[in-house]
Amino acid sequence: MLSWWLPQNVSTYGGDVDRLFYLIFYITGVSWVLVQVSMLVFLFLYRHREGRRATYTHGNTTLEIMWTIVPALILIMLGFMSKATWDTIRHTHPPSTTVVQITAKQFNWEVLYPGPDGKFDTDDDKMIENDLHVPVNQVVRVRLSSKDVIHSFFVPQFRLKQDAVPGRVIEVWFEATLPGVYELPCAELCGFGHSGMLGHVTVQTAEDYQAWNKEQWPS
Amino acid sequence: MAAPRRLTRTGSVLRVTDTGAHITASPISNARLAMVIFLAFESMFFAALIAAYLVFRLRSAIWPPSDLPQLPLAVTWMNTGVLAISAYTMRRARAAQRAGRRDELARSLVATAALGSLFLAVQGSEWARLVGHGLTLSTGMYGATFYTLIGCHGLHVLAAVVWLLVVLARAQRSRFAAPVRVPLELCAIYWFYVVGLWAALFPLVYLL
Amino acid sequence: MTSPAHAEAHAAHAEHHQLGFVRTYLFSTDHKMIGRQFLFMALFMMIIGGSLALMMRWELAWPEGNVGPEPNAATRVLLKLFGDASSGDLPIPFTKWIPEPYMYAGHMPPEFYNAAFTMHATIMIFFVVMPILVGCFGNFLIPLMIGARDMAFPFLNMLSFWVGAVAGVLMLAAFFVPGGAAAGGWTSYAPLSAVPTYTGVTWGQNLWCISLIVLGASSLMGSINYITTIINMRAPGMTYFRLPLTVWSLFITAVLLLLALPVLTAALAMLLLDRMAGTSFFLPAGGGEPLLWQHLFWFFGHPEVYIMILPGMGIASEILPVFARKPIFGYRAMAFSMIGIAFLGWIVWGHHMFQSGMNPTLGTSFMISTMVIAVPSAIKTFNWLGTLWGGNIRFTIPMLFALGFVAMFVIGGLSGIFMASTPVDIFIHDTYFIVAHIHYVLFGGSIFAIFGAIYFWFPKMFGRMMNNFLGYVHFWGTLIFYNGTFFPMHIIGIGGHMRRIYNPMQYEFLHPLQHWNVFMTVSALGLGLAQIPFVINFLYSLFFGPKAERNPWHSNTLEWVAVTPPPHGNFGPTLPTVYRGPYEYSSPGVEEDYLPQDRLLSDRPAHAH
Repeated sequence: MLSWWLPQNVSTYGGDVDRLFYLIFYITGVSWVLVQVSMLVFLFLYRHREGRRATYTHGNTTLEIMWTIVPALILIMLGFMSKATWDTIRHTHPPSTTVVQITAKQFNWEVLYPGPDGKFDTDDDKMIENDLHVPVNQVVRVRLSSKDVIHSFFVPQFRLKQDAVPGRVIEVWFEATLPGVYELPCAELCGFGHSGMLGHVTVQTAEDYQAWNKEQWPS
Repeated sequence: MAAPRRLTRTGSVLRVTDTGAHITASPISNARLAMVIFLAFESMFFAALIAAYLVFRLRSAIWPPSDLPQLPLAVTWMNTGVLAISAYTMRRARAAQRAGRRDELARSLVATAALGSLFLAVQGSEWARLVGHGLTLSTGMYGATFYTLIGCHGLHVLAAVVWLLVVLARAQRSRFAAPVRVPLELCAIYWFYVVGLWAALFPLVYLL
Repeated sequence: MTSPAHAEAHAAHAEHHQLGFVRTYLFSTDHKMIGRQFLFMALFMMIIGGSLALMMRWELAWPEGNVGPEPNAATRVLLKLFGDASSGDLPIPFTKWIPEPYMYAGHMPPEFYNAAFTMHATIMIFFVVMPILVGCFGNFLIPLMIGARDMAFPFLNMLSFWVGAVAGVLMLAAFFVPGGAAAGGWTSYAPLSAVPTYTGVTWGQNLWCISLIVLGASSLMGSINYITTIINMRAPGMTYFRLPLTVWSLFITAVLLLLALPVLTAALAMLLLDRMAGTSFFLPAGGGEPLLWQHLFWFFGHPEVYIMILPGMGIASEILPVFARKPIFGYRAMAFSMIGIAFLGWIVWGHHMFQSGMNPTLGTSFMISTMVIAVPSAIKTFNWLGTLWGGNIRFTIPMLFALGFVAMFVIGGLSGIFMASTPVDIFIHDTYFIVAHIHYVLFGGSIFAIFGAIYFWFPKMFGRMMNNFLGYVHFWGTLIFYNGTFFPMHIIGIGGHMRRIYNPMQYEFLHPLQHWNVFMTVSALGLGLAQIPFVINFLYSLFFGPKAERNPWHSNTLEWVAVTPPPHGNFGPTLPTVYRGPYEYSSPGVEEDYLPQDRLLSDRPAHAH
């Protein structure tokens, strides 16, 4: 299998991120082709030939104003379009019943589940290394922290990345839309074991998630 | 033909010797301009340290932490006065130099250097006391920011005093005649900067 | 009055008599010699930085020497040449001599991999790109281009080089101390960099900090000289808006350096205190703040990015008009866009920190300012195109590199828009997309400009011409293999490939991308080989190249008024007087297609001809 594009998107807001990505891709792609093609055309048309004299001009104010304003407008527009998606991902906190604490350390993810009572700091809390189980089609909140250095929580298929910073708790959320097992690498250099610091996110159907919960908390 | 080398020393000289009336001489000499540029560097350096200080300061509920010794206010107020007077004597030295009053120049320079040294001595002894009371560089953010910020200022005062002593030594060799004009002017600018810096740091670290 | 040529020869002769070998070549206070010293130091460092890069590429393509189940043709060839075909083991060639624990019989452990990319970036940024663009060309060109005899403070200038050289030695020494060189990335994010046990690196990281503080002092001296010289020592008639754009770019670069480096110095001092004196500025356990390091670092780091690209822009703006035989399109827009960058460059640092845990609202404002700072670069690109339009273009080697600069910089600029958009950055942050972006800006941008500048000014610097054929080989080899090396990084970045990982095969979702890693590594080897013609050309031409005439490119700026190579004092008994801007090519007022800045158009004869 030759893959050379975005990984499959399996989160609710991933589509918005991808749409922005494609929008920027098309805009920059067209600009790139325009610039390179006009450059090549100029290089061909105006190549040196005996007896030719270059056009003597110092510029063209109208043109220059135009190519200042047009990119500026496009860029500002992109800025405001990005803001909307950014706010969805980082500013809204949709209600959720599934909350986990993930504490990064060199070189593992400690995933702490609150257990059946849904509360942390109780006896039924359970820590499992590198293994995050979540139900499909439900908002999951992750409280990220770190024990030592900065790590970064990255699930490519969720379009989610957030640094885990020692000394603070950063909350992120996602809602996975497709059951499966996804890799959870660390994306911020965290020491000699950075490469290979890898967990897995298992997105399960409601029944499977129930069953897994039963298995972990038998009582 | 050795002329070009000497000519490069200051921009204004170049213009006078070489040109017609094409360009007006620069209003600021190379040396002064360089000093101003250097002080811009220094200001950014201290701005970064002050920013770091404010980050920790503004997010602590209690500052200084109750279990740590308070900074010595009365002594430091007096020391601030010492530094302020040194700026005054430096001003007088500069004026005396411009007016060619050699005795006053010598007196003022010695006084300035002495006041600067006194400031350092008092700071040093206060630090020794603080360390004795348990406030060290590694005593939390309070100790770390205090010693870093005030310590960097102290180093700058030290540099200013050393520089002044060098100027003084050179001036004495020529019995306080003309040759030290530029070095003294530059040293004075630096001295005022260091005093002005203290005027910002003292309220920030000690008073607020 | 004696003839200028005679006087210059006399001046040069006199100087040679005055100064011995040490004062001429080692502790010279002549800006041109100091410029050359920076060039040689940086080219030497480039070999080290490049070798580190090739070692990393090798590791990424064949992690731990493992060629995988189905090696492609290129891999099989390399396996035959350097590996063990029976076991499929492909160690890094020519590295068996490196002792443990750095290398294990040609196999790279992750500790050394981390040190390699840290030092590769540090060396390339601080000891290659900056010394060449700012140290070499800043020194060589500023006095010559503005019509001054030397820098304002020649002694300080000499000190600047030697302090920089000490910094270089300190940085390289880090490879030889126990624990190895710094391994926290060139950004050295705390707390990883602040506590020795997190990386296992002790003195390596300390030396890294100390070296950069020392280098900061060197840059400070350089900046003081550049700014003072440009403000105070311009030749008669050389107004600000008659300055060549290269000088404009170096001027703005010097201002940025002056104001950005002290912030890094302060941060480095705090980091050193954390490491050595028990403070906790960046350690949350002691009440410190890890993000403070990032804010301070990027407050320096973003202007730093422009420090490295602005001189490249200036050089391209110099070379394009010369070989298009046309005035630069929109001189003032070019100057003002650089000034705009110099101001905006201070309020965009947070775009490196969108995923750092910084307040998301701050992220939005940094995104908007970042979008705005893309505009000046767009203006410059269009103005370069405008310069080509209607020209009479000669494809010399410097011109090819300048055109390559424009083409590659456009890619680097456009890819930047992806990460400016905060939501897209969530995905591509810390992936190879970023690595692609910075290499398009720093290699496709700065290094192409550097090569263009070396080919362009070599005749003036060393008095000899470089070989054209080797130059073409160098250019086309570099352009093709450069794109082969770095363009696929966009693709694997979009595929999610993280940066700074030692072994991509540890991740299942990266397996389908691995063939790109092999492709890029093979291209990188080609890129390395493509530099051989340059090295040969450079060294050969230095001694045996054909003698260069005074103004081989028929250029307008003042450095071509001086004899080749310029003597001490640059301009003979009288300084040139400037009558016009630097880009009067194909002016209808004269018969030739160029009109030097110092030529007086009236009944009086021209000054230097």
